[in-house]
Amino acid sequence: MSQPLLAVNNLRTYLNSSGRVVKAVEDVSFSIAKGETFCLVGESGSGKSITGLSVMQLLPQDIASHPAGEILFNGQNMLTLPEAALRGIRGSQIAMIFQEPMTSLNPVFSIGEQITEALQLHNPTMSDAEAVERAMLALEQVQMPNARARFSDFPHQLSGGQRQRVMIAMALACEPELLIADEPTTALDVTVQAEILRLLRQLQDATGMSTLFITHDFGVVAQMAQHVGVMQQGRLVEVGSTAQVLRAPRHAYTQQLLAAVPENLARHRTGRSDFSPTISSINHVEDVGLKSDLLLSIRHLNVWFPIKKGLFRQTVDHVRAVDDVSLDIPKGQIVALVGESGCGKTTLGRAVLQLEKPTSGSIQLHGQELTGLSARALRPLRPKMQIAFQDPQSSLNPRLLIETTLTEPLKAHGIGANDEERLERAANILADMQLPREALWRYPHEFSGGQRQRIGLARALVLNPDFIVCDEITSALDVSVQAEILQLLLKIRAEHDLTLLFITHNIGVVEYLSDQTVVMYKGKIVERGATSDVCGHPQDAYTQKLLSAVPRLLKI
Amino acid sequence: MTESIWRKTWQGTGVKLGFVWIGLLVFMGVFAPFLANSMPLLMSKNGEISAPVLTYLTAEDVLVLVLFALASVLAWLPLGTGKRVLLFLAGTLLTVFVTQAWVKPPAVNLYDDFRSTAYTAVDWRMMPPVPYAPTDYLRDYAEHGLEAPLEASERFHLMGTEENGADVFSRMIHASRIALSIGLIATSISMVIGVMLGGLMGYFSGVVDMIGMRLVEIFEAIPTLFLLLTFVAFFGRSLYMMMIIIGVTSWSGYARYIRAEFLKLRKQEYVQAAVASGLPLSSILFRHMLPNGVAPLLVAASFGVASAILAEATLSFLGLGLIDAPSWGQMLDQAVKSSTFNWWMAAFPGGAIFFTVFAYNLIGEAFRDAIDPKLSRNAGVGS
Repeated sequence: MSQPLLAVNNLRTYLNSSGRVVKAVEDVSFSIAKGETFCLVGESGSGKSITGLSVMQLLPQDIASHPAGEILFNGQNMLTLPEAALRGIRGSQIAMIFQEPMTSLNPVFSIGEQITEALQLHNPTMSDAEAVERAMLALEQVQMPNARARFSDFPHQLSGGQRQRVMIAMALACEPELLIADEPTTALDVTVQAEILRLLRQLQDATGMSTLFITHDFGVVAQMAQHVGVMQQGRLVEVGSTAQVLRAPRHAYTQQLLAAVPENLARHRTGRSDFSPTISSINHVEDVGLKSDLLLSIRHLNVWFPIKKGLFRQTVDHVRAVDDVSLDIPKGQIVALVGESGCGKTTLGRAVLQLEKPTSGSIQLHGQELTGLSARALRPLRPKMQIAFQDPQSSLNPRLLIETTLTEPLKAHGIGANDEERLERAANILADMQLPREALWRYPHEFSGGQRQRIGLARALVLNPDFIVCDEITSALDVSVQAEILQLLLKIRAEHDLTLLFITHNIGVVEYLSDQTVVMYKGKIVERGATSDVCGHPQDAYTQKLLSAVPRLLKI
Repeated sequence: MTESIWRKTWQGTGVKLGFVWIGLLVFMGVFAPFLANSMPLLMSKNGEISAPVLTYLTAEDVLVLVLFALASVLAWLPLGTGKRVLLFLAGTLLTVFVTQAWVKPPAVNLYDDFRSTAYTAVDWRMMPPVPYAPTDYLRDYAEHGLEAPLEASERFHLMGTEENGADVFSRMIHASRIALSIGLIATSISMVIGVMLGGLMGYFSGVVDMIGMRLVEIFEAIPTLFLLLTFVAFFGRSLYMMMIIIGVTSWSGYARYIRAEFLKLRKQEYVQAAVASGLPLSSILFRHMLPNGVAPLLVAASFGVASAILAEATLSFLGLGLIDAPSWGQMLDQAVKSSTFNWWMAAFPGGAIFFTVFAYNLIGEAFRDAIDPKLSRNAGVGS
């Protein structure tokens, strides 16, 4: 091949924040040919986004510096070009799309105005009518449903996937030669992600542009890239063709990352024989339906949120977040609750714990009815059922020592004779979570995301519950940290005889972890059964669509 | 988080000046009887050492001194915020009762006596830096009381004297106590009410919230100044009455802030986890929610103190303030009512009101900037 479109040679990017220099990118070299897709993959903080922003020269001048290296775009060094020349390149020759579709569009302009503005900025001679026509075409090109009617819609009227389509339309309207896509599908549901990825591939075939695709998801890499670069702590540790890197990784870090992908974990686990009894016991429970083994039984549960309108705030309709759901959770099982965002899975999890008041229906824990109990009557039952949350940032009270967070519930329920005993118990639980005893005397901000999730689990475990709702507890974590947490969960499940309701949108995690799978769609359960059956032979049309949308490593 | 807010707040120059000014006022307010008084601090007569100033300390003087000592000790002891507040409140109540019962200064206070031989013909004596009490009208000195600063060569009046002959600097020092106490106590009252009601509104939302918000709107519609005028007309003049009325009518802003914070915090996962752990309501509200939602209150409180000081100054200026105890507003009123314009009677108290309100506003601004993440100096660059 001739000269590459983009060549990054020995790039270094240092960020200077209040006197401290962070070496965000260290000696990174790669090149992208015309029409090619190059994926930068790595965990959070590995410098992949900074690399993308460096190519665009979008980092704040007063913070970022490039002590060495060059970025050659069509032979021009982006690092030495004057700002005016950069402005000519940005948008028209290199375009960028970002992760967060909620914030990357300006909420006060209609989507049509935003696209036409981008067009006219780079083609000042273009007439208004022509710009509008081009913008309409761009919206049609990204397969925006009903594009012409949507032209004057505002961002808040669109779904996340539609907004990402608008972002792509905006980026592509000026027909750039290089598209930098920074985690463009991370915030989207898996079925929407599949559509956006397909769209990007089609557009690339049609226009012949190159793509620098930044992601943390090896499944997406497998679907999109011809070449892939793996980043670790600012360095590019491995570069190669997608097939070679994913199938026969040479660098130890790449091997470790790939082994931590739930899909590979699952293969590893089912290969072992000591877990097979669990699998068979499900069928046993399901077939015989022993009532004594039932931990939780949900019957015709409805959680509706009223929509109020008008002068007197009458209830005109309801959002049926959970709609007539019946579910049995047998003792000792891990039941995965799968579905897309907004399908009601989190609401169901919270309703089970009475954190959300059900509209109607019944929930029984050990045969004890939970609905309709007062807060006081619920209090003695609380220790039996606990919850662990998704967001490591907000799941722990930032003002309290870990010790207080862990011992306060014990004190409230009168568990443990004195403070020393409670402290001992908290330390033991932390040890179970593979955290040192010193962690008790620290504040949440002193821990990493993965450690905080472990503390969140420790808080759930400290009351010695029978049942824990895990609400997307690994969704905000890097893949290797996620693997650790999942392995830990399996371990404590065995040790503490726990039953888990594991809420997630990640099919890989479901396959690895769960004994049973329940699929929710629009507030209803559409399919349930043993995980191997549901994931192997889905019956429902939605489940089939969901499973086929999952980007898998094996497809290459 | 609190530490970082304090650190950021402390960064500006203006806010440092503000704190220095407030610190100066606190010092003057607390130690006023020792800084400006007509009686000797210490004297030795016939080999007998006595401290007349202690004999004449009023119950309020003692209360202020004890509370200052208590606050200093509590700030130094390694205790939690909740414990500190509780101990301070308990100490305050106790001191109020003890001082009211035990501190009995002489009922009649003839300042002229301190300039008689009983106090001057001594072996040695130590006078306060400003040797005039605020209500010492120097009747033994001159018929005409008014003197410009440093006018009389035989007596040292740094800020001159007012029409009755009392030293203006002494009155200024003693008046700082009223300005500070009305600001702090009125704001504390309104903060306690506001946090209670706002917290309940935010946590329970629904009907409680609706009723609470109507109450807030009703109180926001009450004009504090006219209510104060009415009360003074009916019940006479009392500093404590003013504090209570200002406090009771200005809690609505705090309630709004806390309500908004609690509505947001209620959905936070650590609060949900606290509910799921079956913790008692008081712990959820005061341990898990309040410390995380209190930051905006600091801003509102700084501005609240400033406006309470202004309200008191306004009342005193209108001639409805305290009768004998000096206050800056009352001193301004005197300056205006005087037949001739005497600049020193207007400039010093006016300047003090201006700088105090300015200082509190500077501190409030600094808090607001420190809390506002949009003004955070580190541009977030994440990967």
